[in-house]
Amino acid sequence: MTSIELNTYVVFGYLACGVGYLTAFVVSSKESRLRTVMFGLFVLVWVIHTASIGLRWIESYQMGIGHAPLSNLYESLVFFAWAMALALIVARLRFKSDLIVLIGLPLPFLTMGSTFLLNPEIKPLIPALQSNWLIAHVITCFLGYAGFAVSFVAALLLLFTKASEGLAKHLPQARILDEIVYRSVLVGLPLLTVGIVTGAAWADYAWGSYWSWDPKETWSLITWLVYSAFLHARLARGWTGGRTAALSVVGFAAVMFTYFGVNYLPGLHSYF
Amino acid sequence: MPGSKTGESGPSRTDSLFSEITTFFTSVRTTITLLFLLAAASIVGTLIPQDVNLDQLSRTAAPVYYRLTVILDLHQIYRSWWFLLLLILLSLNLLGCLLRRLPRIPGEWRGDSVKSSFSFTVSAPRSAEEARSLLVSAVGPLLGGSPQEIPGNDGLKLVWVKHRIYLLAFPLIHVAIIVILVGGLIGLLYGVKGSIQIKEGETGGTFAVIPSGKSQALPFQIALDKFTLKRYPTGEPQEFRSDVRILKDGKEIEKGFIRVNHPMTVDGISLYQADYRLLGVRVVNLLVVDSQGKRTEIAVNPRETTRLEGTPYKVRLRGLDPGSTGKGPWVEMTVESEEESPSTVRIYKNSSEPHQLTKAAVGFLGYEPLYMSGLQVGYDPGTNVVWTGCALLIVGFFLTLFTNLRGVEIELKSKGKTTVARISGRSRKMRREFREKVEATLREKLDAPDGPHTEDREQSDTNSQFRKTI
Repeated sequence: MTSIELNTYVVFGYLACGVGYLTAFVVSSKESRLRTVMFGLFVLVWVIHTASIGLRWIESYQMGIGHAPLSNLYESLVFFAWAMALALIVARLRFKSDLIVLIGLPLPFLTMGSTFLLNPEIKPLIPALQSNWLIAHVITCFLGYAGFAVSFVAALLLLFTKASEGLAKHLPQARILDEIVYRSVLVGLPLLTVGIVTGAAWADYAWGSYWSWDPKETWSLITWLVYSAFLHARLARGWTGGRTAALSVVGFAAVMFTYFGVNYLPGLHSYF
Repeated sequence: MPGSKTGESGPSRTDSLFSEITTFFTSVRTTITLLFLLAAASIVGTLIPQDVNLDQLSRTAAPVYYRLTVILDLHQIYRSWWFLLLLILLSLNLLGCLLRRLPRIPGEWRGDSVKSSFSFTVSAPRSAEEARSLLVSAVGPLLGGSPQEIPGNDGLKLVWVKHRIYLLAFPLIHVAIIVILVGGLIGLLYGVKGSIQIKEGETGGTFAVIPSGKSQALPFQIALDKFTLKRYPTGEPQEFRSDVRILKDGKEIEKGFIRVNHPMTVDGISLYQADYRLLGVRVVNLLVVDSQGKRTEIAVNPRETTRLEGTPYKVRLRGLDPGSTGKGPWVEMTVESEEESPSTVRIYKNSSEPHQLTKAAVGFLGYEPLYMSGLQVGYDPGTNVVWTGCALLIVGFFLTLFTNLRGVEIELKSKGKTTVARISGRSRKMRREFREKVEATLREKLDAPDGPHTEDREQSDTNSQFRKTI
């Protein structure tokens, strides 16, 4: 089986997990075995996802153009979905909240599903990407993005609890959601920082300038500034709840624009 | 804060102004505002076209917009005076916050100026020594190792502190940002960036400065021996490579190659492969078959008339197509001899047989392109300062992630046969979890599982107390 076929199963695997989780929530409002089973299934799909990335790496070597599967939009979407699923698993284990997984599952599912629109062929690396910095840069950036994604999901739930008391009864306590919003950013920001620094080091090596205000660079800085403001507001000004949740949503919008929106602006990152 | 102190003569206007300025530069509210302003300015910079020509703009844009652009540097926001001002304000603000916070850190390190996040008191009908060993065995595993013991007037104080290094994270991160900004400023003031184009076989020594376009001399000369464009079988480019020699006063001082992701550094000046241009054809390789059927390969310079050896013909190149049509690459040449009048022939590389002339046949074997290589020239003395800042930043961030300053302090006081222990703890992160863990461990060790619970007081510094008998 090829990694491309495997990815198809992964897409539907995430969909099945989403449907299963939703069923588990409708059938019983309290902790149930069905939820645990669904979480186990989710982890299994994620393991297959991991295997598919590894397999694609091996396939590229068999083709004689071996490189890490992080070299174009298709591969980066697959990795982004993988990172978000990982972040959801970590959040579920850490905070014991199945609802985070239920609300978060559409993210890896839609991200993986969108790869159907792209050419999945393994292509050789263009000269600009032939560098070991590629792996460090892409992995840290996307793990950071995944942290922000979890924060975003918790922030949405928190804003729901603020909006309606009836809804709040069915959601995790606002205090727990607030913790998830904050701690995910606390993990995401250092990773994004390392991503930006490795990107700068690579740019200096490849283009002779560690920072050239290319739109992708600028938008990653904007993202960094928003989440820095988030941490300062929370730690020094005591912002919690709805206000930091709103900042988390704004930050994730910046992440999305950094990743997708920038492609519509001219710049050096046009191959992603 | 020094600025908020008032003199003996009472508060004066300058004092209050000074204190207002100090407050501005030491306030986190200022930091948050500056971060948002920088983000907003950066967004504007990605929406308005940057590095456009001002003269051109004066002709095409509306007059108001043109005036605004000139005043606010809208065509180069990231180098504008006001963006720089925001960065300087941010640096001063960071410095202000650092200076405000730094004096408190040694005290926190030693443990004198510590605010505890929770405390509670227990009393036991045991001797001080019994209670001490019980508590040490309970808290020890949580915080690693034996406590510091400070004898007091009427008792004993046990102090555990773990991960003091966490205290360095805050200064590291904020010093790092200042260092990075200083490095950027050094680059802006003393660095230079430019581009240089060199034809194969030629030498270049001056580059065009980016963005001004002025030309500037290098302290050495670059001789480009060869530019190679290698492609994958699928047609995508695999490698751009310039083979160069570096000359100083006519002498070769270095020889090497420059590829994308593989720069060359000479005298602190780095040379990067940026782009290339196909200028023309350096050499065309032809196959000549004379009347006896003897085959020879010859190289033809496209700018000269060349005699085909062993035949009466002379050829001169007129055109070449590298393969833009379905018929593949071809050359067009004028062929002439003393007996025959000049004629133009087109020879395809893909044809199986050489093109037949009256007294010979000629085939097209291939050509060597003539390239011009575009190199980027970079000199930035601030780079290492920036990398130092980045390293500090990453170390600082990982200290905040993977360490956590935690401490427990127990004061033991004996009154007759009863020992009273006042237990206080602090944790920089996850206060509630830490408190719960300390309480649960103590309860288990002291065998009092059903003691009263305390309410959650995450992030609160006031002490709630509960009493319990062991």
